[in-house]
Parts: sequence; structure tokens; C-alpha cells
Amino acid sequence: MKRTPLYDFHVAHGKLVEFAGYDMPIWYSSITEEHLAVRNHSGIFDISHMGRVIVGGVDAEPFIERLVPTYSASQPTGKSFYTLLLNSDGGIIDDIIIMKRPNDYVLVVNAASKAKDLEHLENVSSSFRVDMDDVTDDTTMIAIQGPEALHALQPMSAVDLSEVKRFTHTRSRVGGSDATITRTGYTGEDGFEIILHDSGIENSSPAVSVWNELATRAVPCGLGARDSLRIEAGLPLYGSDISETTNPIEAGLSWVLSKGKTGYVGDEAVARYGMTPPQRLRRGIIMADKIPRHGFPITDLSARKIGEITSGTFSPLLRKGIAMGYINAPDAQVGGSVLVDIRGSPAQGKIIKTPFYDETAYGWKRTK
Amino acid sequence: MTDTYTIPADLLYTREHEWTRLDGSAARVGITDYAAKTLNDVVYVSLPSPGDKMKQTGTFGTIESIKAVSELYSPVSGTVRKVNSELLTHPELVNQSPYGEGWIMEIEASDLSTEEPVLLSSIQYKEYLASLGK
Repeated sequence: MKRTPLYDFHVAHGKLVEFAGYDMPIWYSSITEEHLAVRNHSGIFDISHMGRVIVGGVDAEPFIERLVPTYSASQPTGKSFYTLLLNSDGGIIDDIIIMKRPNDYVLVVNAASKAKDLEHLENVSSSFRVDMDDVTDDTTMIAIQGPEALHALQPMSAVDLSEVKRFTHTRSRVGGSDATITRTGYTGEDGFEIILHDSGIENSSPAVSVWNELATRAVPCGLGARDSLRIEAGLPLYGSDISETTNPIEAGLSWVLSKGKTGYVGDEAVARYGMTPPQRLRRGIIMADKIPRHGFPITDLSARKIGEITSGTFSPLLRKGIAMGYINAPDAQVGGSVLVDIRGSPAQGKIIKTPFYDETAYGWKRTK
Repeated sequence: MTDTYTIPADLLYTREHEWTRLDGSAARVGITDYAAKTLNDVVYVSLPSPGDKMKQTGTFGTIESIKAVSELYSPVSGTVRKVNSELLTHPELVNQSPYGEGWIMEIEASDLSTEEPVLLSSIQYKEYLASLGK
């Protein structure tokens, strides 16, 4: 089993599970407590298991432009953007974050997809003069998320974090260590993700120091809360809600496909399926009662199957079962009533727009 | 992180981590401290209804945390007499008090003479947990 640089803390304080070949904490105290800490204060997550690949070289810019359906050459230096790796059928290989630095790009990819993604990058790079460096094991990555995240991180940050706008990043120091700080996250809340460049599995002490100090101001959170938070925010999980057999349009991610862009892997397939409306759509469902889970059938009120749940959980904030799933387009209207088959019994649900929480009270756009 | 688990001596147990307290033929049922700690935040318990028939080791519903779904198995055969409807609004009682306020149902047991010997004593349940590496 692989370990992140912060493994000792997880063993001492958390309940360990296997995730993508890593020993990771599913919780430290409880998923409920950790989830609510992020929505109300701030929480920290060890996300070192995620793949970090640096792409450089003379052709880095045209290579990235060819790799993804989102315009990247025109992005300013310092931008962090969410995009997709597509296969030639226009299906999704992975969802990733790209940080555009002055001379290269940092790609952050899902842990479970890393090997597959690297192979794809190798294939696409064959006609480009690029260097690719998998720095996953040599670095640490920590997310701090919540309305108080900035406040909790600022004492350790050499840069004024209020200058780092959402979906941008900067290179500075955190706790004295060389760090990239990106204002992105997987919870729907304000927050930052920090890559510590000089501290990885071999030389973990600086990263452990940073984590331990952050843990005095923010609540350590495990993968359980990470999952319940991202579902509540309506964010897809690769392997559950998006996969090689889902396309960005039906997944509700068509905004990633820059209008008018061609010359990228999957562009012909995107043009083809872009010509007809999608047959099914990813939607949010909130239950009256009971908890929907991955794979449960979705039916209309006459028990005719119209879709399937792809991610389900119990929202600690709303105290209700919530889910995402794909529903046949004609039956997918927001506001519509559905039934979810829960181990043979139908349970009432409603199709709603995500995020599931009230955006004036929670999330990075909160006004209250 | 290792836990020590509470295993009251006056209860009987199953390998599916349920407990039962017998008062004559009235059997109160819940899940053990080990099961409650393993699930952690219990957020949903499917309760049977009074009058439902139970069979020893038969499933009667689920108990769920945010991440996990666990089957519930009846320790004895019989008819459900009462259910703990507090769990509908306060499922966390199972975590707070698995042997007390977190009880799930009461059964009028029908076959105790043959079924009681099959249940585990607290010592046998403790040994069983040890054999699982807990």
C-alpha cells in the first residue's frame, strides 16, 4: 500500500482505508463533524495522493492546447483552470486542474487515473518537444477549505492571500517552504490547495510541520467528508459520475468545451455529438426520506426506469439523502418528481439544481 | 488507532454484531458498540413495524452511515412488538448509546429454547471480535 508524506498523522488520528492504492483516512472524528467544520469554519485535507505532473519544454503551450478542449494558450499566467482529458470518442479520460506558470504547466489529476493519464499524455506528446515530470512522490498537497480558510492559512503564508483570486495561483512560501498556492477546491467553499514542492515522501518533515500547524487552526478532514462535501456542491467524481462512457455535454460540463475550439483530442466526436441534444442529463436529486446510493435505479412515478444514481450520500447539512445521477432528457426537468429504487422499495425524490445548499448561506459565493 | 469495545455481560450476541437482552420471551435488540463505532455516524435506521415476523439471522432492514450501508439481522425469531421511533429523528442515539437509548426493536420471541443456545455470550462475542483481529 502506498503512503503519503502525512501518513504518520493519519495512523495516529484517523481511521484508515485503502483508496487508489494509498492508505488514507476516511475520517478522524466523524464525517458529520468534519463536513460541518468545512461549511462553517475550515478543514484541511491531505490530497497528496492526487497526481502532480509538470509539463514543460519548447512545445508545452501547443501541446496543452492539443490536449484539452479548453482554450489554454490565451489563459493568463497565474490561472488555474478545470478541464477534461477526452478520448477520441469524446468520452472523458479524467477531469483535471491545470495551472499555467510562467514557463510550464502543472497538471493535477485523480490518483486512480494517474497511470492512464500519463499514458495518454505520452501518446499525445509524440509530435511535441515537451518534458513531463511526475512529481507526485516528491511533493505534498494539502487543501484547506471553508469560510475561514484564508484566515487559517494567512499566518503561514508569505503572500497576502486576499490578492490570490479564485481560480488563480501564485508561487510563494507556506510555513517557510516553497509552495504553489491555488485558490481552488472540491467542496464548493472558498479555500486553497497548496503544493509543497520540496517535501515529499522521502523528506516529509517540512510538510508534516505545515500540516501540524494548520491542524491547530483548521479541522483535519478525511475522504468521507471530502466525498459528502463534493456531492453537496454538485461536483462530479471521476469513475462515479463521469467516465470514458460519459460525454461532457450530458455531464453538465459543456462549459469546459471552449466555443469554436478545434484541433484537440476528441474534437471531431465533440462536434458530432454537439449536433444533437443529449439523450440523458446529469441531475441533482434530493430525497424526502432514505438514502440513495450509486447504481440505484431512478424511475418516474409510474415506476418506468428513466435513469440511475451515480453518486449518493446523506447530507449532514440538510439532513436528507442527496444524489447525482443521469436521467433520460425528456424526464430530467428540474423540479420534477422521481422515485429512487432503494433495495426494492420506491422512495420519493425531487430533481433540483445543484449545489444542494443555499448559496447565499454556504459556499464561496455566500453573502450572509 | 485501536478501539476497545464495550460488551455488557448481561446480553447475548450474534456474529452479525447485534445484541439482545432477554426478559422472559421479550427480546430487546440493537447493534453492538463495535458495530456502532465501525459505522461511526449513524444517519439512518430502517425500523420494522409492530406485527412484522422475524426469523433468526433473517435480515430486516439496514442501518446506514454517510458512507456505508449495513444489513440488520434478527438475533431471534418472533413477532415485533415495539420499535424505537426516536431513531427516526435521532439516529445518532445508536452511536451515543448502542445498548441503551439506541435500541432498535423488541420482539416477542417464539423459539427461544432452540435459538437462545445459538447466541454468543459476552465472552464468546469478545473472543469472536478478537478472531476478527479487532
